[in-house]
Formats: sequence, structure tokens, C-alpha cells
Amino acid sequence: MKNRFLPKLVLATVMALAVTGAQAQIKIGFHAPLTGPSASDGKAAVVGAQIAFDWVNASGGVLGKKVELVVYDDQGKADQAIPLANKMIGQDRVAAAISGGYSLPTRSASPVFQKAGVPYFAAYAVHPDVTAGGNFAFRGVLLAQPQGQVMAEFVAREFGKKKIALVSMDNDFGQAITEGFKMAAPKLGLTLTKDFFFPLSERQFGSIIAALRAENPDVIVIAAYYFVGGPLVTQIRVAGLNQPIVGAQAFDATQFVSIAKQAAEGVFVVNALARDSKHPDFEKFRAEFAKRAGFDVESVGVLTYDAAMITADAIRRAGSEDPKKIRDALAATKNFPAIMGQVYGFSPSGEIHTPVEIVRISGGLHKHYKIIDDAALLKPAK
Amino acid sequence: MLFEVVIKSLVNGCMYALMAIGLTLVYGLLRILHIAHAALFTLGAYAGVIVANATGSIALGMGAAILSAGVAGVLIYRFAYQPVLKHPHHVPLIISVGLLIVLEDGFRILFGGYGITFNDNPYNTATVAALGITFNYVEIAMVGSAVVLIGTFMAVVNHTRIGIGWRATVSDPQMALSFGVDPIRVRYMNFLIGSALGAIAGMLLALMTNLVEPAMGATLSYKGLAIVVLGGLGSVRGTLLASLMLGLIEAMGSLYLSDHLDPNALGFLFLIAVLMFRPQGLFTRA
Repeated sequence: MKNRFLPKLVLATVMALAVTGAQAQIKIGFHAPLTGPSASDGKAAVVGAQIAFDWVNASGGVLGKKVELVVYDDQGKADQAIPLANKMIGQDRVAAAISGGYSLPTRSASPVFQKAGVPYFAAYAVHPDVTAGGNFAFRGVLLAQPQGQVMAEFVAREFGKKKIALVSMDNDFGQAITEGFKMAAPKLGLTLTKDFFFPLSERQFGSIIAALRAENPDVIVIAAYYFVGGPLVTQIRVAGLNQPIVGAQAFDATQFVSIAKQAAEGVFVVNALARDSKHPDFEKFRAEFAKRAGFDVESVGVLTYDAAMITADAIRRAGSEDPKKIRDALAATKNFPAIMGQVYGFSPSGEIHTPVEIVRISGGLHKHYKIIDDAALLKPAK
Repeated sequence: MLFEVVIKSLVNGCMYALMAIGLTLVYGLLRILHIAHAALFTLGAYAGVIVANATGSIALGMGAAILSAGVAGVLIYRFAYQPVLKHPHHVPLIISVGLLIVLEDGFRILFGGYGITFNDNPYNTATVAALGITFNYVEIAMVGSAVVLIGTFMAVVNHTRIGIGWRATVSDPQMALSFGVDPIRVRYMNFLIGSALGAIAGMLLALMTNLVEPAMGATLSYKGLAIVVLGGLGSVRGTLLASLMLGLIEAMGSLYLSDHLDPNALGFLFLIAVLMFRPQGLFTRA
């Protein structure tokens, strides 16, 4: 028995080696929170990036080689990210890296890649420090503060010079959105009531809603994750406040609709994924994503897919696996047709220039409502 | 506006009270800071939402919540606390913190990190108006169950033989034993009732927010601790008052101080102040 199998095994091994030898790989480092409280976003991110590379490889790869995603778990923690970055650079010798994780690990890893001269693409980490370290970091999503400014612009265009109440969770994201909105509001003729902050653990908003009723704003603007935002919007509607509600990007989650149900209807979400996107790859991506992840796609999955596609495209244009040339190619990205929206390019500090999609929830779906595409508003300053 | 804020904060306080009674009972009897109680609160909510979604009946869900958390509470006592009762109090405390972490991550692994919503939950959007304020049915249920259940519990403790046995066990287990009270049975009852009340609070909060997620008890576990200390460690009446008070302080804080301070921090600041100036608790005699 042994003698009959052994030669076959050897042959198979040799063939396998030969195949990998002939189709050498370009390694791209990747980290996301695969365990811990944010594991669901981590899964969405890794599935998004993996689909991108599988499709790139199915259509011949780049530079005649396959791109391989080297996946690590950052656990959503800053202290995990630095050794992982060193491992990707020193051991895996990656040509570039993508962060499918949050700001905390991403802003820790960023200086490590900067120092090693390896391009690093943050798919959806919104903290300013992510790109502050130098010219090797890129970001595929609008910073939170400009998002707040765009929200103000949208509110002014849609509803006119009205009285606005800002209700935000008390964390980096909520505060930055509030700051951005407040910066833009006076120029646009918007007046603001006192602003409201609540901790992430808040679930019963009776007292805030009582105060909102007394302030009687024309529009309520909310920056909150789905698990606080869903209950908040429900309780606002149940209390009989029927003003239009405009939510920040965090309302993009499908789960927001499952929680708030009827109360979610008509809510606007600024900078979200339109589930009726007309992008030629969207439906195919959505189906493949649902098959692999087991849940419907949200912006995290799409942003990470886009990040992987933009990186693969940069390697192709660089015509080389040299990290420095890939960096230059990324910096020179022009009019890349990403699913989330056309990428016009990146600023010298690595910030993306792309239009902002406004969706409106209708029939339980985040549907396309309007695009804001003013260069004056959206082109990153630095 | 102020009136509405006060009333709504008292509703919130009722939910805190239901949750914190279990902690108080355990502390009163065994001097254990039962942090893992918050995981039973979450467990109740999970059992509730799963059964409610499977059967279409929120009432059955509530039954499942009470049953599962009650049994789990008894099991935690039997297998986690009883073997270490002879050790210093920090030993069961460490076990308790560990249990909370394990159970929270267990929920995450079993049921996913995004949480579960109710398929059909009419109660958080159905409303009644009273005193010029709109209440949804869950808020009414929070106040109702806090008043009825805690009231019944206090009546039983103060006026029945079982209650006298319970109080005797709390103040002197040896003496109670010699009078024929079975202290072990009292302990089991204690965990059963405390955990069941916690599960009711968990299920009500889940109905209110239409969401059950692994970390829903996390902050509450520490708030519960603050409540128990404020109420004078082991006093049911004190716990009730401290819960309502914390609800009120947080509401005021989130309206007038949230630009400067997280309202969660406010509760703990108050706790520190009380520990410094009235370490026996607010509502107990020295």
C-alpha cells in the first residue's frame, strides 16, 4: 500500500511546487479585527478584500503573478498592530499593506510602514493620525470632520436655513462630526440648538428626547453607531417628534434598519452605500459577499474591496513589486471606478477625493438619494 | 420639560433597580460582589429573543428569560462560588469578573457580534399618554414590574416565615441553622430570585431597544455595583432608592454636563463621594 501511494504523493508535491513556482505571488499584508467585539466588521473587511484579490487573480493577476492576501488578526487593539506590521514587513516581505481595521490599530501600524517605506492603505479608519505620519499612508474614506461639513451642506441644501439639533455619541467619531458640522453651519445660515452628547452605553433616551422636544429643532442630525442610533431614532419617533432625521455614516449598517424598523423609514444617511448602486460590479459583488460572509454587504465590505482593487491597480500601473514604485502609483491614482464612488485621486497627505453618496432609507433599504460632488467641498485641503 | 426628564429618569431607575436587586441579595447573604450578574441579565435577553422569535410570543420569551437566568444563577452559585466560600472575598470576585468576560465572549461566539433583533415587537412603539408625557408599553412594564416584583419581594421578606428565615440566615447563619432554617436552600432561592429579576430587566431593556447584543450588560454591571454600594450593601430598600437616584443623576448630567463629562462618570463620581463621606451607604443607619 505504502509503495503505491508514496510516488503519487511525491509527484503531487513536486507538481504543486512547480505550479506555485511558475505563478509566483505578490504578497499584500492585511489586518482586521477577526476576534473580539468588532469581529463582524473584521469579517466583512476580510471577505471584501479576499473577493477583490480572487477576482483579480481569476482574470490573470497582476504583472503575471497572483496577488496573495496575508491576513492577520489585530483584535481591534493598538498593541497588536505594531508587531503585526513588523511581521508583514520583515517576515512576509509584503509589497504593500491594507488595513481592514479601525483607527486604533491602524494609527499604530502606520508609522511602522512609513519607516519601512511600504505603502499602507487604510480602507475605512477615520482618525486623522492614520495619514499624519508621512507619504506612505493612504485613506479610502472621508475623514469624520469633513463628513460633518458635508452633512451641514446637505442639510442646508435640502431643508434651507433651519434650526438644527446635533445629537452625537461621545467618542472620537461623534465629536469630529459635531465639530465639522458646527464649522460649516454659520456660513450656510443654519442655526444650532444646544448640542447633545450621550455615552455609548446609553439605551434609554427619555431625558434627551424631552430636551429635544423643548428645543423644537427643524431637523435632527445624529452621529451614532447602529446599536445606540437604532433605539434613539425609534424612541424619537415614538415620542411623537416627526422632524427629518439625518444620520452620519454609522447609520449605514443594515442592523440599524432591523432595530429601528418603521422608525428608520425616511432617515437620510450621509456617506453611505446605496444598496441600489448602479456600479457594474455591485450586484455580483453583493451576491458573492452574502455567500461568503453570511450577511448583506455594508460599506465596510465595499470600502475594503475597493481598497484591495485600488492597490492591485497601483501595482499594475507601477509595473513593479517595488514598494516605493507602488506608493508613487497609488499617489498618482486618477479616476478609478470604485464601487463606493469614483476615486478622483489622493491628496499629497494621502486623503481620498471622492464624491459623497446620500442615501434615504425606504422600504427597509438604503437607497440612492443624491450625490454631493463639489470639488470645493470635497477635495482634501492637504 | 424638567418634569418629563425627571419622570423618564425614574423609569430608567426602575430598570436599574430590577437589575441591581440580584446583586444586593447576593452581597447581603454571601458578601460576594457578583459582577457576573450582568451576564445573566444578557443571558435572559438572549433566551428571550430567541424563544420569542421562534414561537412568535414575547410572553414565552419572557418565561424563557426568567427560567434560563434563574437556573444559570443557581448553577453559578453551586459551581463557581460555593467551592470558594471559605476563601477571602476577592477570590469569588475574581471568579465573577472572569465569568462575565467568558460569558460575554461566549454570547459573541455563539450568536454573533452584530446582535439579534426581535422579528415582531409591538411594545416599544405602542404608546399611552399620561401626565402630558408619552410612554411606550415597555416603559410602563419597567415601572410596573419594578413596583410589583420588588414590593412583593419585600412583603415576603418582612412578613412571612420564609422571609424571616431568609433574614435570619443573612444576620446569623449558624443560629438560623439551629432553628431549622436550611441556609443552603436560602442561598439557592436567593440566586434564583435575583437572577430571574435580572433577566426580566434584561428582557425589558431588549424590548425597549429592540436589540440583544453581547455587551449590553457590560456597563450596567459596574453601575449595578455603584447602586449596591450607594444603597448600603445588602439593603433592598436602599438599592431601590439608589437606583432611582442614579437614574435621576445621569439624566441631569446628560442634559447639563455632557459637554464636559460622560454621564457614566457622574454616577461613579457620586459613588466616590459617598464612599468618602458616608461609607456605610446613603440609606442605612451607621
